[in-house]
Amino acid sequence: MFRKLILVAIALMVLVPALNVTAQPSGLPVDVPREELFVMDQIFRWSVIDNYNVWGPASGTPHRHALMFETLWYLDQETGNIMSGASNEPPVYNDDYTQMTVTLVDSLKWSDGEAFNADDLVYTVETVWNTPELSFGGWHAQFADFLESVEKVDDHTVTFTLNRPAPRFHKNFEARWAGLYMMPEHAFSQIEDLVNYTYQDGPYLGLYAPVEMDPNGFWNLFKKRDDPQNTAVCQYHMNEDCGPGYVLTILYGDSTKKVIAMTRGELDAFMNVDFEAFESLLASTPTAKSWYPEFPWAYPNETSSRLIRFNFDTHEWTNNKDVRWALALSLDIVQLQTEYIGGVAKVVYVNVPYTPKLAELYYNHPRMQEWVENLEIDVAGEPYKPYDGTVADRIGEWADEQGYAQPAETAAASYGSGWWKYDTDTAAKLLEHNGYTRDGNGDWFTPEGERFSFSIQAAPDEVDSFRVANAAADMWNDFGIDVELQGLERSVWSANFETGQFETDAPWLSFVLPDGDGWPQMRSYHSKYYVPAPELHNALGGGTPARLVDPVLDELIDAMESLHPQDPQNLELVHQYLQHWVENMYYISTVSFKKFVTWNELYWTNPPSAENDVYMPLYWFQGGRFSIGGLESLGG
Amino acid sequence: MTLLQQFILPRLLQWVIVIVVGITITFLIPRLSPVNPIQQALARLTQFQALEPEAVLQLKEQLMANYGLEGSIVEQYFRFWGNLLGGDLGPSFGAFPQRVNDMIGRALPFTVALLTFTTIMGWIIGIIVGTLAAYYPGRLTNLVAGVMIVVYPVPYFIIAFIFLMVFTYYIPFFPLIGVFRGEPFEAEFIATYLHSTFLPAVTLLITGLSFRFIMARALGTAELSSDHVQYATMAGLPDNRLMYSYVARNTMLPQVTDLGLSMGAIFSGTLITEAVFGYPGLGDLLLQAIYQADYNVVMGITLLSIVGIATASLIVDLSYPLVDPRVRYR
Amino acid sequence: MFGIVGLFTNIRDLMKFSGAFRWGFIVLVFVFLMAGLSWFSPYEEDHRRDTPRGKPPLTEISIGRDDDGERIYARTLLGTTSQGQDVFWQLTFAVRNTFLIAGTAVFIGRSIAILLGMLTGYMGGVFDRVLSTIIDSLIVLPRLPLLILIAAILRGDITTLGLGVLLGIMDWAHPSKRYRAQVLSLREREFTHTAVFSGMNPVKVVVREHMPFLVPFLLADVVSGFLWAIGMEVTLAYLGLGQISVPTIGSLLYWGNYYNALLLNQTWVLIPAIAAAVFTVAGFYMLSQGITHYLDPRTRLTRLGVSDS
Repeated sequence: MFRKLILVAIALMVLVPALNVTAQPSGLPVDVPREELFVMDQIFRWSVIDNYNVWGPASGTPHRHALMFETLWYLDQETGNIMSGASNEPPVYNDDYTQMTVTLVDSLKWSDGEAFNADDLVYTVETVWNTPELSFGGWHAQFADFLESVEKVDDHTVTFTLNRPAPRFHKNFEARWAGLYMMPEHAFSQIEDLVNYTYQDGPYLGLYAPVEMDPNGFWNLFKKRDDPQNTAVCQYHMNEDCGPGYVLTILYGDSTKKVIAMTRGELDAFMNVDFEAFESLLASTPTAKSWYPEFPWAYPNETSSRLIRFNFDTHEWTNNKDVRWALALSLDIVQLQTEYIGGVAKVVYVNVPYTPKLAELYYNHPRMQEWVENLEIDVAGEPYKPYDGTVADRIGEWADEQGYAQPAETAAASYGSGWWKYDTDTAAKLLEHNGYTRDGNGDWFTPEGERFSFSIQAAPDEVDSFRVANAAADMWNDFGIDVELQGLERSVWSANFETGQFETDAPWLSFVLPDGDGWPQMRSYHSKYYVPAPELHNALGGGTPARLVDPVLDELIDAMESLHPQDPQNLELVHQYLQHWVENMYYISTVSFKKFVTWNELYWTNPPSAENDVYMPLYWFQGGRFSIGGLESLGG
Repeated sequence: MTLLQQFILPRLLQWVIVIVVGITITFLIPRLSPVNPIQQALARLTQFQALEPEAVLQLKEQLMANYGLEGSIVEQYFRFWGNLLGGDLGPSFGAFPQRVNDMIGRALPFTVALLTFTTIMGWIIGIIVGTLAAYYPGRLTNLVAGVMIVVYPVPYFIIAFIFLMVFTYYIPFFPLIGVFRGEPFEAEFIATYLHSTFLPAVTLLITGLSFRFIMARALGTAELSSDHVQYATMAGLPDNRLMYSYVARNTMLPQVTDLGLSMGAIFSGTLITEAVFGYPGLGDLLLQAIYQADYNVVMGITLLSIVGIATASLIVDLSYPLVDPRVRYR
Repeated sequence: MFGIVGLFTNIRDLMKFSGAFRWGFIVLVFVFLMAGLSWFSPYEEDHRRDTPRGKPPLTEISIGRDDDGERIYARTLLGTTSQGQDVFWQLTFAVRNTFLIAGTAVFIGRSIAILLGMLTGYMGGVFDRVLSTIIDSLIVLPRLPLLILIAAILRGDITTLGLGVLLGIMDWAHPSKRYRAQVLSLREREFTHTAVFSGMNPVKVVVREHMPFLVPFLLADVVSGFLWAIGMEVTLAYLGLGQISVPTIGSLLYWGNYYNALLLNQTWVLIPAIAAAVFTVAGFYMLSQGITHYLDPRTRLTRLGVSDS
């Protein structure tokens, strides 16, 4: 009796895998010939299924928006240039920025053959403006706040009248991540409940249309339109039939699984993995390539940067500028960038990423260069020059020692700006000047006589930020401060900073957009949005977790508001803002973003790379459409 | 009649109380979480956008209304019971405007199928092998016991991870995530289902099995030394009968209790399995819901779990006398 | 039952009597030794960057400089981690901390469980019904999600001992139900009735007649409680919700995984932690096997002739 049961059990365990032999061992969920299919990392798992309404509350964007939708312009993070979408001319404002006129491209068609024209834009703006439930991206609220009227001038010209000067109104249609997506007027005007409409059957203005979705949200299959020549992407590429026939977005899981999928030939592109996982991929998959063919491999120009943030509201010691400078001077940036980040990210002394365009506007701008080289801070009554311009060269030397082949560019272009000297003696002077004392073991004590200790919070899955926090904790401990590193699950970490429950933490941000404008990102630091912790930092809509109050910044922010982003005076104000910021060491900035966005050139080639740096490879941004459309088949 | 009044009715009443108390606790605890669902949604909806502060405030209000989070916690609590009794768990916050009912409906079959199979198989095989091992100590059983003892303490995610590496990377035979093609019950679906489910099932079976084995062996050993088994042995009862009628049967009570509870617990899913094997189910849904403070989803899944375990426990209690006739209802 | 002095005699007897006990005892002594060694570690518990990163076992590594600034070299026994820590010494801390967590959890959880299980099982009636209702209300709450939620609410402020207490508080409802079932079953057996009819004191019935049956169950249960606590500690660490800067078996595995140890074939980071978990639990298991066997009435009968313990 028992024996029989055991036999049945064993038979079952053998039979089940045997049955599997009949199934295709491929791990891909769709039956599309591999030479027509481009498979890319979906980054996350969809929780809303079969709903492509990108305006409503169900909206989720990555990939999908780059494949299916269109807005007017795209802000390219590699070059800082504007790439054209549904409009290929810059917007025209009147003198006092109360009117904006837009000219549309006349060669675009919806996937059902209907021409795209001014009616669509007017309909889109009016619909979003009049429907609070179409809340995605905050466009409804933006229109409610600024818009007076929107009128069609002719078939391809639209004029927006604004209720007050708004020189940045066009940013609503200019995608860094997303821009207001165009709606098909001829189709949507027939639909009664647009908020709950799922938009599964088109028509679409983008190059791809969804054909199948995993009910469990792991993958989504898209098919190229029958008339690719009528899309903005193919017109940009001047190729009547650009892009792969099918695109599959799929989530395999963490770094390890993405790397395994790529070695199995079941993934053609992924967004990012850890440095260690990338190393093992290079060893196992010779066709895989990120931005540079050699060290430092990763794409270095996504517009953001890593920093250490203080909570100025609840922890008194953070309000002392000298202490903040002492903390900066007791960090060894070369060691941080090499030992902790693997040498693969550009150093920045302020929160502006070191992309080609932004380096030109900021780090290498004569005004900024002169200022930083002559910058003096007061150390116990003596002036002290903290800037060290040799950082990039020293990182280059380190790379030589590792035996890495160096990139062709100068050290600064590959490893970023200078930084602050690693000078623990001066740091000690700064602390002692403020009443801090040190005992025989080198341990620091506060003026109140307590051990100088604080915590630094970071989310381990945000790899570089966590490693920056790791490095800072190690180095400050070496300096004699008792720093506790807290690795927190991401949502817990963000709940903490939203409610002011931290002393220092390691987030990321950029003070400027890819084109150099600062106001949209800096305005939250205006003191009129300040609320004390533990209220939510954005209880008044603006505000930042640092809860900084500084009238000098307020004045600069107010002055920027009415200037056009490209106005030279605007640039000067942004410079002043950054200089004031650095002089006070409000944040300790460390490195630019880098991503191991990686392409396996097994079935598809011609992704953007250091040799082909016409636009960014960040395919999950809406502007990433161009990198997908530019792919060429290797014939499978 | 007295049986009904004295035992069954109070037990049913207890079942109701347990469920109400459990649901109330589950209603309250997620609301203590520091994570704010509105802030989470705001971050998701306005990613990379530089919004007007006024727009942010307006969006927040919109979200509060969408999620049914207006009013005091007491009002929310009664509204929740109203909706629940009408069979509606409300919308998900993280996947708005999807209904929690639909989301659970999609994930439930995967979890239930996987866990029912592995729990019951692990239970049966574990008990049979464990009881045999207790009854026939020897070289072979010691070897089996040794293997079980070594496997048993290995953290599940390590077992899962090793299987994943071996069978998807070194021997790339199984898929990296759950891939299901075709309509349910079609040949293609069944084939892909088995292909995708094999690794999750085997790893779960291994851990479940080793636990059952050890439990059964311990109980069997204790039972063997009890007086009535001693008497039975002296009375010369045949071995098979002895083992089946006395040893196996008398050790069943705690085992049945445990199986009942395990079966009830399958609704809370297999969090790690799903994360490692990219397998759809309730576990991952629940984990994401906890992280996003998606109260309604947490509630929906926990509700299943509460009702599942409470009912299993009820059934176990009511059926004790069937398994072990010596237990009287009282 | 056992006098304090008698404990050692009993251990000696057990060592002679049972191979399982002998092996379990040796393994556990070894595990305790590991934990004890942590107080002699040349490195600080939560310090990183003490050694070169990611070196395999038995590599010669630089471990610092002497007074003249010359590098000192030494062989690392089990290799180093990607965070620049010596695996062996980290393991000693991990064993100690995990022991503390699991031990606290088991002690708290089983104390409550045995007390409630016996009370409900023996007393029965209204008392049983009320208490069982309360226990059942807690049992129905799924534990792992609850733990995740509580860990999230505590936001990284949880200490090693605190985690042990938390796990203990979470792990008594299930076992108490099992003890109750066990007691119910024992209570209805013939020998209980015989004993009660023959006028035996109920406490004596419990101690004399039921304990030999309950102790093996308790031991098996303690082992499973230990495993549950270790498993939860590891799971929370895997999800990044533990106190990951403190070395525990879970955090060692977490960091190994975080730095892709399997993909990079750095198995020396993972294997010692897994081995520690296996040895600890297996040691306890064998110990419990030995004791169960020792308490077995049949063997007791044969021993009674030679000793009067």
